[in-house]
Amino acid sequence: MFKLDHKFIATSLVALMASSAFTMASTAKKDALDGGMTYTRDKGMYSDYYINKQVDKLKINNGRTPTANELKAWDSDIMPDGTGLPEGKGSVEDGDELYEEQCAACHGDFGAGGVGYPTLSGGSISSLKNQRTAPGMDAPKRTIGTYWPKASTLIWYIRDAMPYAHPKSLNNDQLYALTAYLLSVNNIKVGGEVMEDEFILSNKNFSKIEMPNKDGFYPNIDGKDGVENVRKFFADGKNYGAVGKRCMSNCKDPGMKGAEPTVMKIGIEMKDVNPPYSTVRDMPKKTNTSGHPGKELYESSCAVCHATDKMGAPAVGDKKAWDVVKAKGLQNVMKNAINGTAAMPPKGGNMDLTDWQMQLIVDYMMSQSM
Amino acid sequence: MTNISNTSKSEIEQTSRRDFFRKTAAYSVSAIAATSILSPAKLLADDENIIHHSKWGTSLGYELNKNPYGVPSPFEHNVVRRTTPLLSSAGDMHAAISLSPIHELKGIITPNGLFFTRTHNGVARIDPNKYRLMIHGLVEKPIVLTLEDIKKYPSESVIHFLECPSNGAAEWKGPQFNSVQFVKGMMSCTEWTGVRLKHILADLGLKPKAKWMLAEGQDGSEMSRTVPVEKVLDDAMIVYAMNGEALREEQGYPVRLLLPGWEANLCVKWLKRLEFGEEPWYCKEETSKYTTLTPSGKAIQHFYPLEVNSIITSPSPEKPWTDLKKGDMVEIEGIAWSGHGKVKLVDISFDGGKNWVEANLKGLVLTKAWTRFSYIYKYDGKPILLSSRAMDESDKVQPTVNQEKAIMGVEGVYHRNSVCTWEIKANGEVNNVQIRS
Repeated sequence: MFKLDHKFIATSLVALMASSAFTMASTAKKDALDGGMTYTRDKGMYSDYYINKQVDKLKINNGRTPTANELKAWDSDIMPDGTGLPEGKGSVEDGDELYEEQCAACHGDFGAGGVGYPTLSGGSISSLKNQRTAPGMDAPKRTIGTYWPKASTLIWYIRDAMPYAHPKSLNNDQLYALTAYLLSVNNIKVGGEVMEDEFILSNKNFSKIEMPNKDGFYPNIDGKDGVENVRKFFADGKNYGAVGKRCMSNCKDPGMKGAEPTVMKIGIEMKDVNPPYSTVRDMPKKTNTSGHPGKELYESSCAVCHATDKMGAPAVGDKKAWDVVKAKGLQNVMKNAINGTAAMPPKGGNMDLTDWQMQLIVDYMMSQSM
Repeated sequence: MTNISNTSKSEIEQTSRRDFFRKTAAYSVSAIAATSILSPAKLLADDENIIHHSKWGTSLGYELNKNPYGVPSPFEHNVVRRTTPLLSSAGDMHAAISLSPIHELKGIITPNGLFFTRTHNGVARIDPNKYRLMIHGLVEKPIVLTLEDIKKYPSESVIHFLECPSNGAAEWKGPQFNSVQFVKGMMSCTEWTGVRLKHILADLGLKPKAKWMLAEGQDGSEMSRTVPVEKVLDDAMIVYAMNGEALREEQGYPVRLLLPGWEANLCVKWLKRLEFGEEPWYCKEETSKYTTLTPSGKAIQHFYPLEVNSIITSPSPEKPWTDLKKGDMVEIEGIAWSGHGKVKLVDISFDGGKNWVEANLKGLVLTKAWTRFSYIYKYDGKPILLSSRAMDESDKVQPTVNQEKAIMGVEGVYHRNSVCTWEIKANGEVNNVQIRS
């Protein structure tokens, strides 16, 4: 038996408190990149969570090495320095034609918007200073020409994500043509040259595109100091509005004019919400769920354009518009739906749909518009 | 049979009329209490719901496994996510947002069916058997993982909120929605299960040059973002479960990235690919969108953390005090959260921010998770301006609307975390207002 003395009890208590039995949370430090806290993983704890101590030392070695073809198939990003640019070329003129066919319905003529989808052109960099602090003031215009810092973002996004309803359907030449057109309607220059109709954009001259707002963003994330610049940015709350103070009594807000707080009430209330507001607890009314076989197909492939008349397409539910369609005769309606008509691409752009599915869809759309 | 006297019938009717949300509240405690004070015992009406056998007590219920996957009571049908065409392109609900009914949520866990949802090209439906995750770039050993491979790594479960940095964005120029669901419902909080990314990277051997990670989704928009490796090695996870079950499709089934405390947009859903590199990628959603325009005309990029924030959910425009009477004791309750760490404390003001008292935190206080606060208030029937203000573990405090506006202006769209205020009128109605010049 060892002799108990006060010194021993004191030291063993300290030791006990430091051991996991008394540790309720792991150590927190304010040293995160974003100006917040990080937590150690030690003694089987991560913050307030118990963790399996074995895990941090393990190598699991799951999975397998991708093949060269697999890497090529998925590594499709395009970086600001041109890494990943595919081989190809396209003219402004060809891009114009493509844009009219595939893009104008959503993004408006010349990318000028107006349909509800993002506006791609117009405005000025100086508009970015606009602050709508009173009604009727002009908004800052965030378009490719006034806002986007990199051209690589544009071609990469078009390649992976556009056209909206059938992404990844453009070939490389179309990609360059469309990018060229969008840059040209934004009056963007390539190597000092204005992009006329016959201008050809390719992987060869892509790096010469001059994006007008390339210096419009901070902190600077490029180069070897990129991450450190981010850390410095978040270290000072004044950079991003983190300036709150904990005042408890007679607090005076910087914007207060008199002694009493100025209360701003709702001007025009936004009430268009779906489903409508309600906190009632009752049995729901039986809704007539149409089990039409074309409903789901319509919603996934056609509703983007046909849900409203904003895109120039006859809106489902608009009896008048559909009476005009029906007057063409069912056969012609089916022919147009399958082969395309006016701004509508063949099968609405979803070439996976069979003709039979197209019939179901058209029947559904008509049944909802009588 | 028990007869109800004419007097007590009218008593019930009066009580009912006073109760604006009577269908919701049925018999509120306060209404009964008031009746008993005002009237002699003989006027107390018998409650039909007690006096008579109920429908459900006199019949056989439905079979226990009628719904092999359980569903809420049909009476709860109004507790749902809501959308608005204002937060969409031309009313198109493929690239839009649905907001959580935070006024109806309890505790700190959002049920999976009520988790807020934002998509950029509709909800992708992925066959889990065909799901692959590729990790490559500046690593010694690139890999492809199946869903089963990912699940073979030792799992961890953590409770974190996710918030769209646009939460409250409609309010920069002034209050617009009279609804707590639309003011602050672009967030939810869940117990996530998955793998710490650093455990996977231990296998791959991250090269020292790697400073950034591209996270790319496999939805139609290939939603992608650049993440600093420092965050990846700190607390990033890839997760495949929420609240004990597989991720919902709207949340990225079968696998999404989780960057605790950071913009939900960075927590890429339907995860396809992680690539490590020396320079950032400049994805569409970190240039044309998710950058915060300031009054200088320049914009903040890579604005990661969701800053300290709070909202009173009861009372709120959806949960007014119209059934209260002078002297009633009522709980003011709300949610506080911070992407910078734990919530340290929450203060409440009754006079539009001139004077504050500290509220109580309740339940679990976890890092980067919703934290509940509570304050018991004796209702005196006078109009008040009710605000909450949270402080987090890194000692950051929510700014006032004017303080935030002075630095950020009103066109930034993202990362709005100034103090919210409800105006409570003498009749108990609650309106969304702002204290601002």
